[in-house]
Amino acid sequence: MLRPIIYKEWIKTKWCAVVSLSIMLLFTVYAFLVAGRAVDLRGAGHIWEVMVLRDAVFVDILKYVPLLIGISMGFFQYMPEIYRKSFKLTLHLPCSSFSLIMAMILYGTAVLTACFTVSISVMAVCFSELFPVELMERILLTSLPWFVAGVAAYVFTAWVVLEPAWKMRVINAVVSVLLLRLFFMGPAPEAYNSFIMWLVVFVVLSVSLVWLSVVRFKDGVQD
Amino acid sequence: MPNNVIECVNLTHYYGKRLIYENLSFDVPKGRILGLLGKNGTGKTTAINILSGFLKPCSGECRIFGENMEAMDPVQRRRIGLLIEGHVQYQFMTIEQIEKFYSAFYPKWRKDSYYELMSLLRVAPKQRISRMSCGQRSQVALGLLMAQDPELLVLDDFSLGLDPGYRRLFVDYLRDYAKSGEKTVFLTSHIVQDMERLVDDCIIMDYGKILIQCPVKEILDGFKIFRIHDEDGRIELLSEISGIYHPSKIGKCIEFGTFLSRDQVAGLLLSKGMNADFEMARPTLEDAFISMTGKY
Repeated sequence: MLRPIIYKEWIKTKWCAVVSLSIMLLFTVYAFLVAGRAVDLRGAGHIWEVMVLRDAVFVDILKYVPLLIGISMGFFQYMPEIYRKSFKLTLHLPCSSFSLIMAMILYGTAVLTACFTVSISVMAVCFSELFPVELMERILLTSLPWFVAGVAAYVFTAWVVLEPAWKMRVINAVVSVLLLRLFFMGPAPEAYNSFIMWLVVFVVLSVSLVWLSVVRFKDGVQD
Repeated sequence: MPNNVIECVNLTHYYGKRLIYENLSFDVPKGRILGLLGKNGTGKTTAINILSGFLKPCSGECRIFGENMEAMDPVQRRRIGLLIEGHVQYQFMTIEQIEKFYSAFYPKWRKDSYYELMSLLRVAPKQRISRMSCGQRSQVALGLLMAQDPELLVLDDFSLGLDPGYRRLFVDYLRDYAKSGEKTVFLTSHIVQDMERLVDDCIIMDYGKILIQCPVKEILDGFKIFRIHDEDGRIELLSEISGIYHPSKIGKCIEFGTFLSRDQVAGLLLSKGMNADFEMARPTLEDAFISMTGKY
């Protein structure tokens, strides 16, 4: 079952995946170039000092990029299913609906994780040229909640898009925005260090919301 | 005991406070093509949605192959082919991709049947379904159903958006396929002429209830349209008689349909003091349908 589902999801999202990866890389490289230029102009010692004393991380430009990529991936993957209710075709396949939905979410999460992992790896390699290990870790740990937010945004988008009734869809969207705020409330770098695992658990649990939308779709709920 | 593929028992459903059905029950025996006819809003698509497991009725039960739809083993869905209203298929796929995708789910997949039908379409294998006409999409949907080779086909308004040529192609292919393979078909269409060529049995629905369920032949042989000339147009006298469907007035003529015989109708008219000089016509299925359900 997994192979044909991956095949279908790939047809829908391949351009979104390629563009997302390109955008992610562009922003990462741009953040590196900005940091590199600052080091060239002001000297490494001064920049390191600024990072430690003034909470600069040089990757702020990336803050909302994973979030937007997660939302785009959700739209590209689930909107074609909802268009003219072709989601019925998916749910009519001779497999458990739960397994089908989990396979679809797994696919989307895997693509996003791959995209974000490439970005994090590039960040790690590039920034290690400029900063000591401790500061590089600081940059990565600061940006980690943003990437988790990207996956959360993907899951919430699936929840909103698959919801069959418009009223509930609006409510879901509002709740999603409020929940996503949780990922951007940290006032300082590494503010989420002790909390990041809970955020990951929260994202995993929020997958059940998508199933809730699917159950409502199967029950024929409408406005 | 009849070998029923579909058994719906006491289905009741509401949309909000609006009643769609109350205690609706019907069966579809194996190997029969059954058409569900009804005016807009009588719940044809609702019936299809319940049958295909996409709507939970307020009460009642729908069984397919003896299993309750709501608790059906997913593998059983291999035996059910579903056509969604408007011939909906994955718009983002090409005809090659969609065949490759579905073939992975069905062990008895008949690739040749699909490509045989596709060869009739003047489309490139890499053409996306979203760029096809409604008629071409209908053939893709039909080709996929035939390749799946299900025992039961559930088709929702298969004629929607099709021109007469594609409708005829669809009907001829479907009938030949269903009859040669002893398939059971449950379908709806708002174009009743198509049903006459295609279905064995029909259910005619009015708002909230079944008016009649019987073989189409029984309707074509037994139903009659009567036209009487009545200066006073006393249509209300006929409305009271059971067995006479929706009498309607056109000028000084009154027209109605009934299964009653010529003599029975003459007797009834005389008993009401009306003119028993009438014209009688054998209707098409569409005439009978309109007569039974009314024009409005």
